Amino acid sequence: MPIIVNLDVMMARRKISLNELSERVDLTLSNLSILKTGKAKAIRFSTLEAICKALDCQPADILEYVPDQKQKK
Amino acid sequence: MKTRTRLILKLLYILSWIIFVGLCIEAGGFITNAIFALVNPAVVKNLWHEVDLSGLLNFDTGHFFAETFIMCIVAVLRACLFYLIIKILHNKKLDMARPFNTDLQRFINRASFLSLLIGLFSWYGVHYAQWLLTQGVKMPDAEYLRLGGADVWLFMSVILFVIAQIFSKGIDIQTENELTV
Repeated sequence: MPIIVNLDVMMARRKISLNELSERVDLTLSNLSILKTGKAKAIRFSTLEAICKALDCQPADILEYVPDQKQKK
Repeated sequence: MKTRTRLILKLLYILSWIIFVGLCIEAGGFITNAIFALVNPAVVKNLWHEVDLSGLLNFDTGHFFAETFIMCIVAVLRACLFYLIIKILHNKKLDMARPFNTDLQRFINRASFLSLLIGLFSWYGVHYAQWLLTQGVKMPDAEYLRLGGADVWLFMSVILFVIAQIFSKGIDIQTENELTV
């Protein structure tokens, strides 16, 4: 998928663990893990808002668009 | 799952077992009759008398075996269909928390295919029996040949196929819903 989730990068920058973030955004560890590993198919605005608030960042810091190799051609 | 649903499923499970055993006996009876008609036709009158094809056996052995073969196929396919139902109920794949799963979709697809085969063989068997009637052979009714209801089987096959397609979409939606954070 051309949308890359940079949650792990932001977490490293803010020096925050997955457990801590899970508590702050009120999401289960498994759901956060799905998001972090890029397996998620969709993200709710409320979740994005909570993550941005917890990490003090913008949605663009977490989500990135990288075109597929096929699309580039 | 609600207690009432569980009870209905249990009843269906028991009913499926009874029907499955009955269909196996029926298929076995047809096959045994056919084998003995080939080996020792004199014994056939002492065997299973549910379907009397003695008129056809006296008319022509080839036609007798062809008709018996169709009846055997239909009986075995019906037994297979009920075996599928037993299997899905026994393994408790009907998960109401996650109703759209691949096991259930595979079951519906297989049931649809089996229904189609049963419908086609029944339809052919009935037309074959009708043709034999025009040749002056004393034949029992299609109902007694266990070949009745071909149109119902074909209708069921189409309906199950449509349900399988809807199920496939349901699986996609459920997976997407599960992966929405």
